[in-house]
Amino acid sequence: MNDPYSVLGVSPNASDDEVKKAYRELARKYHPDNYQNNPLADLAEEKMKAINEAYEAIQKQREGGGGYSTYTQPGGQYRQTTGTGAYAQVRMLINAGSLDQAQALLDAQSDRGGEWYFLCGAVAYRRGWLDEALRNYQIACQMDPGNMEYRQALMMMQTGGHTYRPHQYGGGSGPDLCTILMCIDCCTPGGCFGC
Amino acid sequence: MDLYRAYYCGLCRAMRRGCGWAAGMVLNYDFTFLAILLAPTQGTPVERCRRCPVRPFRRVAMCAASPALEIAADESVILAYHQLCDTVRDDGFFSGLPARVLRWLLCRGYRKAVRRRPEFDRIVRQQLEQLHKLEQENCPGLDAPADAFACLLQAAAPKSGEDARDRAAAQLLYHMGRWIYLLDARDDLESDEKRGSYNPVALRYAGQPDADAALRATLDRSLDLMRSACALLELGRQEELVNNVLWLGMPAVCQAVFDGRWAQMKKHRIWRKGYE
Repeated sequence: MNDPYSVLGVSPNASDDEVKKAYRELARKYHPDNYQNNPLADLAEEKMKAINEAYEAIQKQREGGGGYSTYTQPGGQYRQTTGTGAYAQVRMLINAGSLDQAQALLDAQSDRGGEWYFLCGAVAYRRGWLDEALRNYQIACQMDPGNMEYRQALMMMQTGGHTYRPHQYGGGSGPDLCTILMCIDCCTPGGCFGC
Repeated sequence: MDLYRAYYCGLCRAMRRGCGWAAGMVLNYDFTFLAILLAPTQGTPVERCRRCPVRPFRRVAMCAASPALEIAADESVILAYHQLCDTVRDDGFFSGLPARVLRWLLCRGYRKAVRRRPEFDRIVRQQLEQLHKLEQENCPGLDAPADAFACLLQAAAPKSGEDARDRAAAQLLYHMGRWIYLLDARDDLESDEKRGSYNPVALRYAGQPDADAALRATLDRSLDLMRSACALLELGRQEELVNNVLWLGMPAVCQAVFDGRWAQMKKHRIWRKGYE
């Protein structure tokens, strides 16, 4: 295992409070809530595991140094319990990232209800086709208005889910106009002459 | 933000050195961002003070030549060249004249860049061809044309061999490409309507009263996916700069485009440049 201190980005001389603060910040950053249905959810889960292990290792080393329970939550995967055999398989394929296969299996289904549209939306979302995903989730919700899973997916497309926001961009006093103008300079679509 | 400027000027220099003086004319900000993403995450960037070729009386700090800058330089010349070819193809003889001249100036630099990055050239050709096809078909969706451009930008980052890093970088660049393409389409809405040209935003939201809100929601979701990918990238010393673009720069540009201030800002910038 890597040096637990470098995993948390603190020096071995850091105080217990500093270690706890660094851990909390990283846990906030890689929390599974921020990566629900995100194609990178598994990577965030790995990071979360690494910082949990590092924090526990440091706590063990420093026995009695102000305990702070680590986060344990399952990652943002699609639930695999509902639906018929084919749909359960589609969910598995989506979770494994085999999107073409998942879509092919969906295309082969003749009975197209709410779940079919929901899963088409999930495939589109994983591909980055977000508008397509939204439309499919909308149809799924119309066909099956009581389904919480579909409604949650639709709401996430409309208003966004949890996202980690670095402290300096966490609201409070806003940036001054000058910074904003400098930033606008930074991402112009299209070309620009000279410096 | 001085560091961003240093990357920008460093990229300009890398383009001129690698692809000839005319290459500096197609310098853009998207590829400055790419250079920053690809730059090493450890240590401090080496900056040198050099004379700016556009404003020769001023010495500016710029990042010293590096592989990241060279990749970004070659790729922006390749993309610019193909985009000029598209303009020449789409515009008439006279209105296409400036693009024709610029393309001719860029031709040698482009050939050099292609020799170094044949794979990127192939992907750009393929994706722009795909985009052209969708435009011809008057494709009614947003995602398909945006995907063509997004895949192009995604291909701009060479594989590092580290799977986690490559996946995160791919997601970041894909959604950046999607975001740029769709916002650009929103910005061109009026001019495209006047000329009767293809515009994916116009086609998708025709007759919808809340078109802007809907487009914004989808752009914001792309931004969310960019940010969540960025958090996994471990950018080291580049992190602050990249976060600044993702949390302040891009939302501000988005707001300006929707407010209609963006067109004015662009004009103002060109005007200001003329007098500098």
